[in-house]
Amino acid sequence: MPVTRKETLRRSKVAADRAERLIANYRPLPGIADEFIGPAGSIRPHWMRFVESMAELGPSEVQHRFGQADRHLADSGVVFRVYGAENGDERPWPLSHVPFLIEPREWAHLEAGLIQRAKLLDAILGDAYGQGRLAADGALPAAIIAGSPEYLRPLVGAEPVGGHHLRFYAVDVGRGPDGRWWVVSDRTQAPSGAGYALENRIALSRALPDLYRSFNVERLAGFFQAFRTGLNRLNRHEETRVALLTPGPLNETYFEHAYLARYLGFVLVEGEDLTVRDDTVYMRTISGLKRADVLLRRLDADFADPLELNPASRLGVPGLAGAVRQRNVAIANALGSGLVEARAILGFLPGLARRILGEDLILPNVATWWCGQTLERDHVVAELDRMVIAPALGASVPGLLDRGAVLGGTLDPQRKEALIRAIGRRGTDFVGQEAVKLSTTPVWRGEGESARLEPRPSILRLYVARTNDGWTVMPGGFCRISDQPDARAVTLHQGGASADVWVLSDKPVTETTLLASPDKVALQRRTQTLPSRAAENLFWLGRYVERTEATLRILRAIAGRHIGAEYDGEAVIAQLDATLAAAGSIGETDEDATPTERAIAMLTDRSDFNTVPRLAQASRRAASVIRDRLSPDAWRTVADLEGLLNQPLEAETDSDMLERANAALRLIAAFSGLVQENMVRQQGWRFLEAGRRIERGLAIARATRFCGLSGKAGELDALLELADSQITYRIRYVMLAARVPVVDLVLLDGANPRALAFQAERIRQVLADMPAHAPAGLLAPADRLATRLAAELSTADAAALDAGDLLGFEQTLMKISDEVALAYFTHRRAADALDGGE
Amino acid sequence: MLYDIRQTTRYSYASPVPFSRQVLRLLPVAREGQRVIAADLVITPEPTERQDGFDFFGNHITTVAFAFPHEELTLETRARVAVAAGDRRDGEATPSWEQIRRQAVAEADLGPLSPVHFLFASRIIAIDEAIAAYAVASFPAGRPILAAAFDLTCRIKADFAYDPEATDVTTLPADAFAKRAGVCQDFAHVMIAGLRTLGLPAAYVSGFLRTLPPPGQPRLEGADATHAWVAVWCGRETGWIGLDPTNGVVAAEDHVVLALGRDYPDAAPVDGIIVISGDHQMDVEVDVLAISGSDAG
Repeated sequence: MPVTRKETLRRSKVAADRAERLIANYRPLPGIADEFIGPAGSIRPHWMRFVESMAELGPSEVQHRFGQADRHLADSGVVFRVYGAENGDERPWPLSHVPFLIEPREWAHLEAGLIQRAKLLDAILGDAYGQGRLAADGALPAAIIAGSPEYLRPLVGAEPVGGHHLRFYAVDVGRGPDGRWWVVSDRTQAPSGAGYALENRIALSRALPDLYRSFNVERLAGFFQAFRTGLNRLNRHEETRVALLTPGPLNETYFEHAYLARYLGFVLVEGEDLTVRDDTVYMRTISGLKRADVLLRRLDADFADPLELNPASRLGVPGLAGAVRQRNVAIANALGSGLVEARAILGFLPGLARRILGEDLILPNVATWWCGQTLERDHVVAELDRMVIAPALGASVPGLLDRGAVLGGTLDPQRKEALIRAIGRRGTDFVGQEAVKLSTTPVWRGEGESARLEPRPSILRLYVARTNDGWTVMPGGFCRISDQPDARAVTLHQGGASADVWVLSDKPVTETTLLASPDKVALQRRTQTLPSRAAENLFWLGRYVERTEATLRILRAIAGRHIGAEYDGEAVIAQLDATLAAAGSIGETDEDATPTERAIAMLTDRSDFNTVPRLAQASRRAASVIRDRLSPDAWRTVADLEGLLNQPLEAETDSDMLERANAALRLIAAFSGLVQENMVRQQGWRFLEAGRRIERGLAIARATRFCGLSGKAGELDALLELADSQITYRIRYVMLAARVPVVDLVLLDGANPRALAFQAERIRQVLADMPAHAPAGLLAPADRLATRLAAELSTADAAALDAGDLLGFEQTLMKISDEVALAYFTHRRAADALDGGE
Repeated sequence: MLYDIRQTTRYSYASPVPFSRQVLRLLPVAREGQRVIAADLVITPEPTERQDGFDFFGNHITTVAFAFPHEELTLETRARVAVAAGDRRDGEATPSWEQIRRQAVAEADLGPLSPVHFLFASRIIAIDEAIAAYAVASFPAGRPILAAAFDLTCRIKADFAYDPEATDVTTLPADAFAKRAGVCQDFAHVMIAGLRTLGLPAAYVSGFLRTLPPPGQPRLEGADATHAWVAVWCGRETGWIGLDPTNGVVAAEDHVVLALGRDYPDAAPVDGIIVISGDHQMDVEVDVLAISGSDAG
């Protein structure tokens, strides 16, 4: 429909009014620079464009778009772990919907400054771990190097593969009151946040696609692509892909590790996935030991090798430092790179830049005085009230600066005196820093017509990677925003939000996507490396999900029998109850309870390991360590299942139970569908499938043992229900349930996907496709058991089967599970340090 | 003085150990005033991997891996070492401790024996104000470093009880200090914590004492096992001086250095990753025989 000129005018009038309201109360804080309003007091042009675009969208559309972005983040499972919260609670990632905008000219300046700084810090690391000239010449005090907890002596003299200590580097920068950009701190150990930046970008660019395109925002994919290509080039043997070494799911940024591994196509590994033999690093995979040449490290270096570094570490790889010294592994960043995070170094950087690069620093540091020098110490003590006092070398000074930096002026007299005495004795441990107030940037507050922009303090984390073309800066970043209007320190531990960073371009930007990168063009269908730990977790994910389902089906059958009030309901319920007990699902304490009470406890209680909420939790835990291998949808389903089953029941009635069980079973069905339809038939799928089939086989054999042998119609009905086979039965046999046909259908009919025979055949098939663990032509123990079970079931006579036979089938399935574990997962048992995979 | 040293460490495990990887510091190296004439480490059973080299502080390290089940492990060091008598230093002639504090921080050397490595908190030895409050009595303004540090050495000997039951190998300096009891490792840690908290460079030294004292002198405590003491940096000219707070003496002709570092873990004779399900027993025997009195060279 054509829009008249008058209508256009009216609309733009409305939009202009809205824009006016959005910014009417925007007041920068005194003495602090602001991103939105320039030094002259007027709104910066690119920001005005942004406000106008938002106003044109209209309040309800804006609300809708913001909601979309939030849903995207929730659905992709973006979480940030809060340390210290009970049970490592996760809280949703807070996104501030207004991006942080940077103009092209300003960006060029930042980019040049970051590249210079990456060069400089890399050179300092090379010298500190190499010749030590900077210390010898007095350009950098030896005591600063020696005093840093990240100066890792076993790595002194080790030259990194590829020639660089730094490969992925982050800088926290902020705009000071003078409008210039200042470096607040350097992150060289294992910088976090890049994965969150990517997620924020995806969420926001999808929510505001038109805006995103019209602003010519620089794309991020090219940066990651170049970084990946750089690491891949170091992978000389290519027995495995580049591995991302994570401390594991308890780490606060584990989500990001899994996310980046997936995005970059790296294998996610924990310390126990790797082993060192003869100074060479190997990955423990289901096909034996495979050489690992390149590690992207998200584990702090001190924890990386309990043999030569921190002996208390349970997360590392014994012997890793030795492998680095022999130049048999490339680690990004190199072990020991954290050294240049020491604040004490900041004060020396201007001089070091001139000496090493022959240049002045493009981006100034926050002014820093190291108290290991007499003059500087006296200055800091004299100006203590106006300064930030911070640990010079590490993250804290125990007893004095336990939580890092403090503002001198906020200390009580007693603490101040203790601090001054300590600085007098051990000035080496302290720096004084100028207290910089960083610029504020707009955040969106309120909804609908009352929505408005407000200023909040912000800090940017920007990223630099070593690529085949030298240092490359990510054109974007991770902006942290304080939730307090006047907060000085912005950290995620203390609350706050994050925002996407839009680097604006003068020209239209080219689209890049990681999927089309040149180094991926070669067609590949071969099986990718599967670490044993991942295989084990997939296997148990399969078993737990299936066990949850089997238990839910029994509980549903119990609840349904109460409602239906069938003639022999009580007797059937007793048999179903016995089935649960035989599965180990009922603890001893429940013996006095009625079957119904027990069923409700099974569905809601968390005290016993085999209750439904605990099984769902176990499923989620197994899934959480292999998140890089599950689709976001599949992960979401498992997480939702746990969420659902951990809600309290509205009332402990049969119909509530029924409803709960049905809802949970629908989620499990969705998970099964996602796995069957979306997971490529590679090794990972086979382990998941083997786990599910073994558990399903166990459940049906057990149910038959308790409900299939007496021949009572009520029990046989229940068995058909558990096996989801009532309809087939009724179509086949127009009669009441009778023992032989029922047993034949649920145990022996190879065409029934719920029948035991079907499970046995599938187990046989997936085992046959797993990597061989027996000499060519011979069957491994698990294969032999599965083949025999499948053959036995395909030739059995339903009329002749008794409880002993069924128990035998169950035992065989459990033995198969043990043999699979022995053949593929044994690395978890320490003993396997022996099995070389030779 | 020339010594024949024999140290045997035996481990027996309650159940077979399937795999272990260890770093051993069981061979002495040449140090100032100390010459190694011969040294050998025999490991039974024969390890799957063995590499000999030096760690950052110049200690001889032997890295071994056993990739087969073993129930026992025997490590036997045999060495002949010559120790110089050393000049009797005049503690009063060293620079003041405040000067040492300033000089140490300003050192430009990053080499293994530079005082800069020994100024800071380590994994085991924290900066400890309580211990410093005890130590500071030996450090009045302007007192020469060696005189002050020796005074502290003697006070620890006097104030602390030698009691192997009071502590174990993992005891932290603060606990040993609170108990005023422990063994050589604890006394050395406490003394180092006190010195470093005052801003002074101090190192941890492990080694041996002669088993039988020279005629007419008492047998020193710690002679039947691996011993530990402290080295204090007394300025560029004087360098490192060993002080033994367990016995209240300057470490000289009776002390043979095995390894040194910032704390016990840096100098630990055996460091390792042992996969073990049951308990284990360890038994150490040390013999340090003086075979001649003068040809220390």
